[in-house]
Amino acid sequence: MTMPDSLYGAVMLSLIDFFASMVMITGIGVVLALFPLLNRIGKVDEDALRKSQH
Amino acid sequence: MFEQFLSFLGALLDQTGLAHFWWGNAVMIAVGCTMIYLAVAKGYEPLLLVGIGFSCVIANVPGSDLTQPGGLFHYAYQGVQLLVVPPLIFFGVGAMTDFAPMIANPKLVILGAAAHLGIFVALIGAKLLGFSLNEAGAIGIIGGADGPMAIFMTIKLAPHLLPQISVAAYSYMALMPLIQPPVMKLLTTREERLIRMKQSRHVTRLEKIAFPIVIGIIVNLFFPPVAPLITMLMLGNLFREVLVVSRLAKTAANDLMNVIIIILTLAIGSTMAAEQFLTLQTIEIVGLGLLAFVFGTGSGVIGAKIMNLFLKEKINPLLGSAGIASVPIAARVSHNVALEYDKENYLIYHAMGPNLAGVFGTAISGAIMLALLGVK
Repeated sequence: MTMPDSLYGAVMLSLIDFFASMVMITGIGVVLALFPLLNRIGKVDEDALRKSQH
Repeated sequence: MFEQFLSFLGALLDQTGLAHFWWGNAVMIAVGCTMIYLAVAKGYEPLLLVGIGFSCVIANVPGSDLTQPGGLFHYAYQGVQLLVVPPLIFFGVGAMTDFAPMIANPKLVILGAAAHLGIFVALIGAKLLGFSLNEAGAIGIIGGADGPMAIFMTIKLAPHLLPQISVAAYSYMALMPLIQPPVMKLLTTREERLIRMKQSRHVTRLEKIAFPIVIGIIVNLFFPPVAPLITMLMLGNLFREVLVVSRLAKTAANDLMNVIIIILTLAIGSTMAAEQFLTLQTIEIVGLGLLAFVFGTGSGVIGAKIMNLFLKEKINPLLGSAGIASVPIAARVSHNVALEYDKENYLIYHAMGPNLAGVFGTAISGAIMLALLGVK
């Protein structure tokens, strides 16, 4: 089902898109908030990475 | 014999561009020269405006073959039209960009969506002016202030509007330091502009490496319509952050990016021929683009103020306007406006968070729009 090509369709599209974007980007924010947990896995040795240039 | 001489001379003149020159060409040549002037004398986005301005001038010299099939500008435009150039721009941007400000302060990510109300104001405005829903969607995306995304969406939704939309998007991005500050000042108090942000946490290398991989998976999983752009953004960023392929990251961020900018600017300017450009439709699109930028800036600032109602530690509302994607122009504007009121209030790092989130916000809006309009 697609949006009708009318003013009603434009308003509906805008409302759904705006709120869905907010929800999705909030979801990305939640994923990013969990990122510090990654540091429990271990640590990356930056000096070693810099030395092993390819 | 004299008549024959005149007739040959007439035929010769007819083969030059001079015979086909009309006032519209003169207007567009003046527009091109103004762009070059703004870039050179005022410093407005010279990387973009010099190339766009020059190819706009050449595109309006009748007889120039550069914009015709076989001409270099024509093939530059093919790169844009075939959606080769926009993902490569994202690739270069990814290799240039440190996403740490976004990772460090996830709550500011929401401003990347809040600042996109302008997209929908322009979309509804375009529909009221009689554009089709697909055309209105493409026009609305100007408000995302993301040039490659505007091009990508326009090719998908309304390819015939590409010249007007790409020019409006890139021109307004260059003019953001003029458009945004009055709106930001109108919607904030002096006290709010003086709010200082707390130092962000340190983001480790592991987080920086994980970021492009995680986002690459999320985008391809949830937003396949815009995945080509964001995937390339993340690939460029991965090259940068893994540290073991620095020469690839440097190539993507410098040499390749420079080549792509040349191709992109020539392509955009070459579409600005007077016959296509000097229409009422162009004026409407340019007007709607401005409306989108103003509302996007405003909604970002208001979004930040709404967040402050719930936050113990208040954020500077000037960060909200940075949620418009244009990286790093919008972040720089937030920083500069804050500096006007407090010479030691450096917002740039904090503003980069919502600014980078704005790229994702525009991409997500675009993906949802394509899905709702049934366009693949």
